[in-house]
Order: sequence, then C-alpha cells, then structure tokens
Amino acid sequence: MSSKVWNFFFELYKFRYALSQLVFQQLILRYRRTALGYLWTLLSPLLMMSVMAVVFSSLFKSDLKTFAVFLFGGMIPWTYFSSVVAQSSSSLINNEGMIKKVYIPKGIFPLSIALGLLIDSLFSFVALFFIILAVGGTLSLGLLFLPVSFLLLFLFSFGVGLILSIATVFFRDFQHITTIALQGLFFLTPILYQPGLIDGKLGLLVSLNPVTPYIALFRAPLVDGSFPDIHILIQTTAISIVTVLIGLLIFLSQEKKFIFRM
Amino acid sequence: MSSIQVKNLTIKFPVYNDQAHSLKEYFSSIFKRDRSARHDDYLAVNNISFGVNPGDRLGIIGKNGAGKSTLLKAICRIYEPSEGEVITNGTIAPMLEIGAGFHPEFSGRENIYLNGAILGYTKKQLKKIEPEVIAFSELEDFIDTPVKHYSTGMYMRLAFALSTAINPDILILDEIFNGGDAKFMAKAKKRMYSLIDQASIVIVVSHDHSLMQSLCNRVIWIDHGKLIDDGAPEQIVSRYLSA
Repeated sequence: MSSKVWNFFFELYKFRYALSQLVFQQLILRYRRTALGYLWTLLSPLLMMSVMAVVFSSLFKSDLKTFAVFLFGGMIPWTYFSSVVAQSSSSLINNEGMIKKVYIPKGIFPLSIALGLLIDSLFSFVALFFIILAVGGTLSLGLLFLPVSFLLLFLFSFGVGLILSIATVFFRDFQHITTIALQGLFFLTPILYQPGLIDGKLGLLVSLNPVTPYIALFRAPLVDGSFPDIHILIQTTAISIVTVLIGLLIFLSQEKKFIFRM
Repeated sequence: MSSIQVKNLTIKFPVYNDQAHSLKEYFSSIFKRDRSARHDDYLAVNNISFGVNPGDRLGIIGKNGAGKSTLLKAICRIYEPSEGEVITNGTIAPMLEIGAGFHPEFSGRENIYLNGAILGYTKKQLKKIEPEVIAFSELEDFIDTPVKHYSTGMYMRLAFALSTAINPDILILDEIFNGGDAKFMAKAKKRMYSLIDQASIVIVVSHDHSLMQSLCNRVIWIDHGKLIDDGAPEQIVSRYLSA
C-alpha cells in the first residue's frame, strides 16, 4: 500500500506541469468573457455574505457589524469545503473523454480542483479581510495561525473529494446526493450560529459534524483574535489525516478499475 | 533500447445490461442471491502474449471489435491489465484519438500548452515546439482564437501538428491520420513517415492491407481478443483475407 501511495504522488509529480495547466484552466475559465473577470472571486462572496449578514442579523436581532465578522469567519472555510466537495464529485466523469484517450494519473483531477479553489479562496479571503477589518475585525497574532487552518482544511476537503469522485463514477446518484447533503450540512455546521446554541438531538449532530471544528479553526483567529483551542487543533489534525488516508485508500483501490465503469 | 513485452494480457470489460448504474440497482442486487450475476465479463483481450523488439514495425489486423484498439490502449496504459502485464521501455506517443483534452473555450495557443502538458511534454519542450506547431498547422492568423470557432479541418491540423511534434521512441497509431485537404494531407503524410522512420518501434492498426505490407515487417492477427497468427506481413494478410 505504501508503495502505491508513493507511486501516486510520484506520478503526480511527473505530471506537475499538466496539473498546473489544469489549475490554471479552472481559474481562467470561471471568469473568462465576464466584464469584471477575476474581480468576481471577491465580489460574489462579498455580495453573498452581505445579503446573509443583513438577513440573519435582523432575524437574530444582533448587531450587523459583529454578525458580519462572525459570519465571515464561518463562511470562508465552509465555502471552500462545499465547493471542493461539490466539484470533485463530478471531476472524473467530467473528464471521461480525456481519461479514455490518453494516460494521465487520475488523482490529478480532484487535486487540481482542490488547488484551484484554494487559490480562489485565498484571494477572496485577503480581499474580504480588509473589508472586515474596516467593519470591526481584529488584527492579532492569532492571524499567524491561518496558514495552518487553510492547510488542515485543504487536506480534509481533498480527502472527501477523492472519495466522492470515485463514488460518483460508480453511482451517478452521488451528484444529486452531494448537492442535497451539502445543503443539509450547511445548517448542521455552526456558521450562522454559535456552536452550543442548538441542543438536543440536533445539537448532538452539530457536535458530531466533522466540519464543525474547522469553523473554529478559522473563527478563533478572525473573530476572537486568538489561537484555536489545542483540542480543536488535535481534533482537526486527526480528522484531516484520517480523511486523506481513507480517501487515498479508496481512490488507489479503484484508480485502475473505474475506467471500465465510465 | 526500447521494447514492449506483452505477457498473458487479458482485459475484461464488465458488461451491464442496464447502462444506468444507480444506487437503486446496487441495493436491489444486494438482495439477489447470486451477486456475480449482475454483469458478465467481456474479454476484449484474451490471454495475448508477444514481444516487440527495437526496429520492429508491427501491424495489427482483425475485424471490427476484435480487440485491436483495446490492445493499443493497454500498451499506452489507458487500460490496466485485468490479468498479465505489459512492460514498455521508451517514450510512447499514442496517436489514438488526437485532440483529446482540447478545451473549446481556450485559444489554439493555450491548447498547445494544455494538451501538450496532458500528453506529457514539459514546458520547455512546448516553448520550443510552439512556433513549429503553429507554422505546420497553418494557423498563424487564428492561433489566439478559441478553438470552438475552428473548423473541423483546423482543429485536426492543430491536433495533428501537436501530437507529431516530438519524436517518440515508440509510436502507436490507430489508422493513419486522415483529415484536412489534399495539400495538408500530403504534408501530414510526409511528417508521419519521418516520425515512423525515426521511431524505434511502431505499432499500427489499419484496415489498409497494402499499407500494412509496405510499412510493417511483422503483422499479428487478432480475432475475438485472441492472437490467431503472427509473422511476415504478406503471409498473415493473405491468411487473414482467405479466412
């Protein structure tokens, strides 16, 4: 198994130029022929979050500025996670034509999506961060932790993406299931509310939700201006490593077989 | 030294009666007694062994659906062997379906880099061949236009020029390139033959038997996934035609 994992990364390394081209293709295509171009990476989350901030702050009767900062801390990791999961799930079937005509390491497709969206997410994060600072965010040493937050989130999302990309080849239903599941998961993740605010059975689901601790990983530095709790750090590190390993295990076991199911 | 060893190669395709693989189908199959009855295996390539040595020009003949293209794809690593193995030494240029991975929204120039990267070329190599590819495909005026606006001929010219821009050790051809106008065809044939001359090994699938006899020094005949015969082109072709 370990030689297979090694080989997986070695093949990706050999095709690194193809990987960079695929990432580049994603970034370009999303905004090509739009008047505002890449500015949309900034504008669309900004507009989206403004709408949500206004609606939910009045619904929850909380201060708009405070809520906006709070929402920002939750939406950054959520948007990344959900886009990676949704797009990875169709990453192999969308490239069927290429996969059947030329040899290419298959892991390149989910990986290029996780990387392309990471670049998008970092850009929109930086841009939004300045707006949030103006509204009342905090500038603290805690921000130095964010690269680690992004890394852990990347590993977790990529792991889930690997699993779903394979699952969708075998059962096309997963494309639809993923969309619905993500919508449900959004409400089970403490993005709009504080964790612990919901109790009972639903509260249990929120605390069992593996995405929940990742929100804390971003919210602590952005909203509270502190390093995340050590338990959260251990928990997310463990989840990220286990998810990537399971993802690789499933992907590698099917990598050479799924072409016969396309 | 380039070489290809095909040892006891078998490629199985699961054949599904219902093409829509769905969860419903999966769950209903769980309750069926005999789960293996869900699909039959189709042996596209059935226990084939042969070796190709440097200098060989190997032709593959057989009826439609005999497994020729599947065999080529297995040599190019597109299909993984279900049983047996394929060992290759040397760089391989598969010219199976050229233009795979062209993106319609991208310009010709961008597609040279995108598709070139997928074919395994390095950035340095692509920088070097870019002007030559553009000149050969005669697309100087349209190279920065998205390829979705290209005519079929323009598209084929670019794909052909790119996939033949670098001399491989092993050249794999599924039918000789056919497309473009007469003038381009003549030019393409010339380039193709120079590529063939310089490659250490050439494997070609074709229904053009006179081409097989003029190009190849050895022909194998495949039927229903099995190797029927292997030998000198004239001999195998005449046996195949009289069969």
